[in-house]
Amino acid sequence: MMKRAIGKDEHTRAVLQQTVQNIGLYIILTCVAIITVFPFLWVFFTSFKGPTDAIYSVPPQLIPHEPTFANYIRVWNFLPVGRFFINSIVVTMSVVVLNTLFTSLAAYPLAKMKFKGSNTIFYLLLVTYIIPSALTAIPSYILAVRVFHYYDHIQAAILPYLATVFNIFLLRQAYKGVPDDLIDAGHVDGANEFRIWWNIVIPIIRPSLATVAIITFVEQWNNFFWPSLVLPTMTNKTLQVGLVALQGAFVSDARGTAAGVVMTVVPMIIFFLLLQKQFIRGLTGAVKG
Amino acid sequence: MSKKFSLTPYLFLTPALVVVAIFVLYPIFAVLYYSFTDYSIVTPPVWVGMKNYSWLIHDPIFWKSLGHSFIYLLVTPILIVLSVILAIVVNRKLPGIHAFRALFFIPVISGSIAVGIAWRLMLDRNGIINALLLSVGILKEPMQWLAEPSLTLPFCMALTIWLGVGYYMMIFLAGMQNIPEELYDSAMLDGCNSWQKHWFITISGLRPQITFVAVISSLAALQVFNEVFTITGGLGGLLQSAYTVVFYLWQQAFRLSHAGKASAIAMVLLLITLAFSMINIRLLERGTEAD
Amino acid sequence: MHKKLLILLLLVSILVTGCATATTQAPAATSIPPTPQTIILTSAPQTIIETVISEVVVTATPAPNPEAVIQGVEADAEIGFWTFWLSPTFDQYIKDTIARFNQAYPGVTVNWEDHQATFQDDLKASFAAGNAPDVINLSVSEGWVSDYASQGLLLSLDELVPQSVKDLYFPGLWNEQLIDGVNYQFPWYQGINVYLINHQLYDQTGLTIDDFPKNWTELPALCATIKEKTGTLCDIRLTVNDLISQMVYEGNVKPISDDGTSFTFDSAEAVAWLQQYVDMVTAGTVDKTVLVTDQDRVGLDLFTSGQAAFYATGPNLIREVRANNPGLYGYLGVVPAPVGKSGVIGKGLMSLSINAQTEYPNASIALAQFFTNPRSMLEFSKIVSIYPSTPDSYADPFFSAAPVAIEDSAKPFAEDAISKYADIVPTIPHKADVNAILLRYVQDALFNNVPAQQALTDAVAEANLLLP
Repeated sequence: MMKRAIGKDEHTRAVLQQTVQNIGLYIILTCVAIITVFPFLWVFFTSFKGPTDAIYSVPPQLIPHEPTFANYIRVWNFLPVGRFFINSIVVTMSVVVLNTLFTSLAAYPLAKMKFKGSNTIFYLLLVTYIIPSALTAIPSYILAVRVFHYYDHIQAAILPYLATVFNIFLLRQAYKGVPDDLIDAGHVDGANEFRIWWNIVIPIIRPSLATVAIITFVEQWNNFFWPSLVLPTMTNKTLQVGLVALQGAFVSDARGTAAGVVMTVVPMIIFFLLLQKQFIRGLTGAVKG
Repeated sequence: MSKKFSLTPYLFLTPALVVVAIFVLYPIFAVLYYSFTDYSIVTPPVWVGMKNYSWLIHDPIFWKSLGHSFIYLLVTPILIVLSVILAIVVNRKLPGIHAFRALFFIPVISGSIAVGIAWRLMLDRNGIINALLLSVGILKEPMQWLAEPSLTLPFCMALTIWLGVGYYMMIFLAGMQNIPEELYDSAMLDGCNSWQKHWFITISGLRPQITFVAVISSLAALQVFNEVFTITGGLGGLLQSAYTVVFYLWQQAFRLSHAGKASAIAMVLLLITLAFSMINIRLLERGTEAD
Repeated sequence: MHKKLLILLLLVSILVTGCATATTQAPAATSIPPTPQTIILTSAPQTIIETVISEVVVTATPAPNPEAVIQGVEADAEIGFWTFWLSPTFDQYIKDTIARFNQAYPGVTVNWEDHQATFQDDLKASFAAGNAPDVINLSVSEGWVSDYASQGLLLSLDELVPQSVKDLYFPGLWNEQLIDGVNYQFPWYQGINVYLINHQLYDQTGLTIDDFPKNWTELPALCATIKEKTGTLCDIRLTVNDLISQMVYEGNVKPISDDGTSFTFDSAEAVAWLQQYVDMVTAGTVDKTVLVTDQDRVGLDLFTSGQAAFYATGPNLIREVRANNPGLYGYLGVVPAPVGKSGVIGKGLMSLSINAQTEYPNASIALAQFFTNPRSMLEFSKIVSIYPSTPDSYADPFFSAAPVAIEDSAKPFAEDAISKYADIVPTIPHKADVNAILLRYVQDALFNNVPAQQALTDAVAEANLLLP
């Protein structure tokens, strides 16, 4: 790598240019940060305003004069927010664990085994990949109400998501990266397929499993359309559905709505901040450079 | 290696295949059937042949919804441009840069429902947007932002963009780590200025990510529901200004109990996503071939 | 090894908790009320009532219970009973009435559930699943009875209920929401259409309570004054799920031709009705979101939060206002609702209907009749400002006592008003779809500068396609 020798003046100029550039970048970053954070800030402060603290005034007054927890207490007493969280956690964790298990099982033979019908199944899955989720809603609903009778039960939000084709394909790609020698070595040792899969292959594709788990986690946590159809009773609702119910119950009560939003968002933000690296690695790991 | 018949592959596949068969395959056939019936879910379906489809063709609201869904695709290029620029900006070792990155990711984590409700609060007649615009003098009296038909869909789209920038920025950021430093350095030797250099090299290097983001973003845009639902409070906006295909489907099936008509809409949606997915597969194939 | 066990353990624990929560999630036969509202006000009216009235005494008769007027009630019947938005405030009343019901009809088990915002969704799902309740509380004012009856889901009552029982009700209320002349509901508690006034805002206009419009056509002028003097918008709601009905009552519109072959809601009266709303939207004097919302609560909450000068509702919802905004309660005023051009001041509010597929028709009819009999409704009236659908209830001194709290201000003229309630809307085929079409065109006229006449003519043309 050839480097030209640079004189002292040029060096100072370069440093100055860099600093100016940096300041410019920080300004851009701060502007974007403000746009990003402003709604949260406003909602956060609004949630602490008492009845005498105006939400709407010209010029606007962001910080409450007499902050109070009354709105949070009101919302907590009126709606089972704790239950919303529990339901969401149960649904999300069940789906994450079982979906990852089922799809990692299913993707393996598609990547590493030869068997009759493997092509048919692969193309079948490819076909189902394009099915929009809204399409399956009507028959799924009828299944939930008429056939399986789990309408208004928490299984209704879990069962349809126990296997997603996207995850199967993602893991299939991951398996393809596993060298065949390792698997053959397992065969030579006399292990059955399941043990090879569990003991040898799974540890290798762990990063992709993490990706699948995290993608599924975020998807399920933020899922609204389907749970809103099958979880009508208040104590059965998941967080996102409960949040909409909250908004319906506090429709002209901006303070209460704000408190509800803060209550549901803050735990997730804290959770994310603690596990930042894993989250980001997982979500972006879906795209191979 | 023995070639005896083994049950194992099928055992591995069974759990996932059962779920897919029940919750994805069966519904396709069921919806196809329902699309030829008059079905209120409460009473048994009645065969009516092509009536739902001919109704659909003549239904101005359906075409409006379809148009809105296609207009919604505009978020994809906007998202890509904004996210790439942002990724370029944060892709440097400045102090505090990690804090900014995390901050930009927070909308993604909060979920479209919570954020949609927050936006709705802000855009209320007594919300902060009115307060700000009034104090600066841009407005003379508060506006009902969400009661302006021409603004409803743009607000939903803005929400989608606001929610997505952080996520896609991270994807591009990860992709940029794979672009070899040499490319940038040799460009510097050639005398290109900073922006030209970044533009050409970065964009070319990010091609797989851009393709990926374009595909998932556009598929999501065609099927948008959450943003429309929260911003319009479940009503789709005055004059159906924010009706999208999935919203109209939901309304027909679960508000008006016209599951037959909704199924016809679903079949049309299927055709559209089929077309887009074929483009998807084509592009991915081309991407992997280039590797 | 450890990892394997850990993951297995995690899996199992998730499954177990999931299943456990799932089984405990099963909807109980009796309602699980959501965590109650913070302030539930029933005290003020109750205390006043206790000092004024004397107890209604049912003369004890030796043999049959006087309230057991339905014959042939099935032995060991078990019936489901759904109410709409009555829990938790009225839990005690419902339970007490069910207990009294069991004294009159021993051996009938009643499984009571209350549903709120998701009532319609739950009901439709239960019909689809085949386990809909036997006795259902439906809103007459929102048009639910004719919706479900026209799909064949409700039991027709004219044949099955003895004339002596039918005569217990105001005739205008028994004959509501008829489908081809047949009645499907027991009229239950009624409301009086009043306008709640927020004196804090209203007084700023310089008008007095007596100046409040008596006729519906005078409202736009009031809204203009309110906007000018207070800067707030009018809190007026179109019943978007039943615009035809609103047109008939407010605008005296005839919606369908006598022979039922063509819709006629593009007449001069209809245009005048629509034009009034168009003018208010153009003048910017109404809250556009409330105007076309499908939730009554949206309009009510706007008033409760102190942002509107008046709101059309019933005295029974004053308790909601008081619970959610105690500060506003002291500034409340009540006026009778302005009358529409039809001259008919109102129609029924709530009813009890029977599931057409019920296994226990007589037991179900008995329960519906019991809750709507004079004594049950009188007791209900004593705890909240609703009014009975039976003339006999009004004989009680409770109704002739002078009103004290603002919730009671409609009491003196309640009987007279309710006796005049009538359902003047003819049977409309495909009512839900016609209303959906009409709503679309009405929105075009309101927000899209389409002339009212053209919008209505186009709506009629499209609606006529639904007729055979």
